[in-house]
Amino acid sequence: MKLRYTVLVWMTVFALILSACGGGAPATDVPATDAPAAGEGGVLKIGWLGEPDTLNPAYAFLSEAYTIFDLIYSPLVTEDASGNYVGALAEEWSASEDSLTWTFTLKDGLKWHNGEDVAAEQVAWTINAVMVDPDGWAALSGYVGGFSEVTAPDEKTVQIVTEYPIANMEYRLSFLYAVYPPDFESFTTPEDLQNFPNDQPIGTGMFKVNNFDKDAGVLILDANKDFVNGAPFIDQVIYQKFDSADAMIQALKVGDIEVLSDVPASAFETVKGFNGVTAVSIDGRSFDELIINSVSEDNDPAPTGNPALKDPAVRLALETAINRQDVIDIVLQGLGSPGDTIVPPTLGGGFWHNPNLSVPEFNIEQANQILDVAGYVMGADGVREKDGMRLEFRLQFDADSSNYPRIADLLADWYNQIGVKATPEAVNADALIASTTAVGDYDLVIWGWGSDPDPDFILSIMLTDQFVPGGWSDSGYHNPEYDQLYLDQQAAVNKDERQKIIHEMQEMVYNDRPYIVLYYGKFLQAYRSDRFTGFIESSLGIDDDASLGQVKSVQ
Amino acid sequence: MSRRDYLFSKFGISILTLLFVLVLDFVLFRVLPGDPVRAVIGRNIRISAEVQESLRAQFGLDKPIFPDQFIDTMGQWARGNLGVSWSLRRPVGEILISKLWNTLLLIGLGQILSIVLGVILGLLAGWKRKTPFDVGALTFSLIAWATPTFWLGIILLVAGSAWFGLPTGGIVSPENVGKPLYTIIPDVARHLVLPTLTFTILYLGEYMLIMRSAILEVLSEDYILTARAKGMSHFQVLVKHGLRNAMLPMITIIALNLGFTVSGAIYIETVFSYDGLGNLVQTALVKQDYPLLQGAFLLLAVSVIVANMLADFLYTYLDPRVKAN
Repeated sequence: MKLRYTVLVWMTVFALILSACGGGAPATDVPATDAPAAGEGGVLKIGWLGEPDTLNPAYAFLSEAYTIFDLIYSPLVTEDASGNYVGALAEEWSASEDSLTWTFTLKDGLKWHNGEDVAAEQVAWTINAVMVDPDGWAALSGYVGGFSEVTAPDEKTVQIVTEYPIANMEYRLSFLYAVYPPDFESFTTPEDLQNFPNDQPIGTGMFKVNNFDKDAGVLILDANKDFVNGAPFIDQVIYQKFDSADAMIQALKVGDIEVLSDVPASAFETVKGFNGVTAVSIDGRSFDELIINSVSEDNDPAPTGNPALKDPAVRLALETAINRQDVIDIVLQGLGSPGDTIVPPTLGGGFWHNPNLSVPEFNIEQANQILDVAGYVMGADGVREKDGMRLEFRLQFDADSSNYPRIADLLADWYNQIGVKATPEAVNADALIASTTAVGDYDLVIWGWGSDPDPDFILSIMLTDQFVPGGWSDSGYHNPEYDQLYLDQQAAVNKDERQKIIHEMQEMVYNDRPYIVLYYGKFLQAYRSDRFTGFIESSLGIDDDASLGQVKSVQ
Repeated sequence: MSRRDYLFSKFGISILTLLFVLVLDFVLFRVLPGDPVRAVIGRNIRISAEVQESLRAQFGLDKPIFPDQFIDTMGQWARGNLGVSWSLRRPVGEILISKLWNTLLLIGLGQILSIVLGVILGLLAGWKRKTPFDVGALTFSLIAWATPTFWLGIILLVAGSAWFGLPTGGIVSPENVGKPLYTIIPDVARHLVLPTLTFTILYLGEYMLIMRSAILEVLSEDYILTARAKGMSHFQVLVKHGLRNAMLPMITIIALNLGFTVSGAIYIETVFSYDGLGNLVQTALVKQDYPLLQGAFLLLAVSVIVANMLADFLYTYLDPRVKAN
């Protein structure tokens, strides 16, 4: 009797420590009055699942670094929430008749964080430095291709001369931050420059770095009271690194942080239900697609894709048998929108996306009909066949994704209903790169892309010359007409003309179907609306510089 | 063999092991598939092939792995230089030391607590075998040992932050970052409570169980009977004859654990966003950052070797048989 009693006590103690705590810990949301106040403006704490690799723009590759650069540095021009480019350092700018000379007039009253005035010469200095030493400025070197000369004819003017017309000039300039030259002048080798941590950067941005403690995962920014567009309302922004999304969500719930820069889709509903928290879902710049092997037979090595995939009718049937809305509702819990072209509707505020494509409705019967007409006869085992070509495909997907296995199952099921056998297989991303790009050893692959704000990059993944080792084409799409249009859009400085070309390119890719774009992703964020208001919900995110400039503490 | 000879031979073996590890350390990460330059620059798509080549040359990856890269790396290590991390661009030695302190603080504290509690509770459980205390302790140990780290961590985090206002992650509160250490001790301590508790619960089970079975074995020995027959008290028998002999397997397991401790408890560090070595190794692996990986692996290997040597050394005191043969 005594023994049993003690066992019970031990078990109870254990159970108390473990399960009881977990059993939906009661909401102890911190009251709004608890908001930290280091001044009247308040301190905004943002949780994220990473941190900048370095604060040195010459060698920063992680997107977290660029989030910070946008807050502490200014380029000549920058993208605003509606996808247009507006002046950051520049008050106004213009291109010459031949589109080869760009002239920028700087704003009045520009000051570095140390109080010194900004001279046009200093702004030109960074761009020149990147051009002269592309190896050292590895991370920014890609933005100055085609620049031939950058000068400062007077105190207020920066002039850029290019070798050929550059259509996305503003986009490129939005990454060329003006750095304080004395900090960067002394390095003699690329390695020295890249090893410079730049932990106390001097910029011109809305915030200045107070402390970046890489060993505590904390980055503290102070408001720049002299910011040219006016000081932000808040006094301080603190970025805190979390290694686990669950812990970060709990931190928002108990009020350790006020903003979640990235909410996992699976937790979105939960976060939405927190007291005093507003969760926002924003159309992002990413999409996921079904890649259809489009590699030329002349490729070396020869592609191993099922030759039936070259048949436009098969491709059309494969698309008609996909219920995009089901994929979104079942796999993404509704957090996505149906996809069609490779240019997401968010780029340039919708300016670049071609909205006029006719996407076939999901219709199994119709898909069957298409294959019937094309001469694919249903076999005894339920798999269609024509001239010895069986419609039997490998359906591979990136094993890192938690969504892809479920999408693959849905697709395999729909395809089964039209006499197409697709066998899902999870493949590690490195192996996928090795079997797709330059090789073409696959049939169908589910994968995804994140696009730049400018459509140039995402259009480049369909270029013939990108299907080489180290290139970005995985589909093997090859179309000389498309390749030429790509060059045309790069030189089309007139925005409307460029739009026309880009619309045409999208239509071309859409109709040829190297990709079936399944959906455009959303990106999910949340903030404590009981403590701060004024966030701008745009595709740049609520923690973008324009948004943080508006944010006010609730008092 | 004298104690000195014994230790000398152990030391020799350790040196040989270390040399072997150095070579393995070099080879291990280079057989991984993938391109380190691509891993470092990530999806940064505008980096031209020329710039990638220049980075490759800077990292020494343009040379053949053997002999050039091998000789370069060994030469660097011989000079005591671990190189500069490719992804973080800081000296590897400096990164390792800063993370090592964090890890030692957390894991050291957790180890001490779980060892002390484990030895005491295991000893008592063995001594009071088949009593309710023993059964309870045994049940607790088995459950604790079998609990998944990640799960326990997140449960404690949710409970601790919601009910006791403990921090949800990190090492210090952001407002205390950069302040002198002595002024922020209470804050650091608050951040340590939950990860240490998680660690202690997880290891306590293992230590308790081993201590219990060790003491049970010892208590069945003839000399215990003799000691009792001589009229020694329970306490004297347990501590003087029982504990010392039962500590031998414990020392082995503690030494093993201590060695691996330096690798950090990856799961615990991840749940509590605790910037230790475990987290560092994980990031370095994703980035294929050879200098950082090699440095971390070397540190881990050295600590395992040192911990084992320490165990050998302790044996000579605890067990005279070791130096006799």
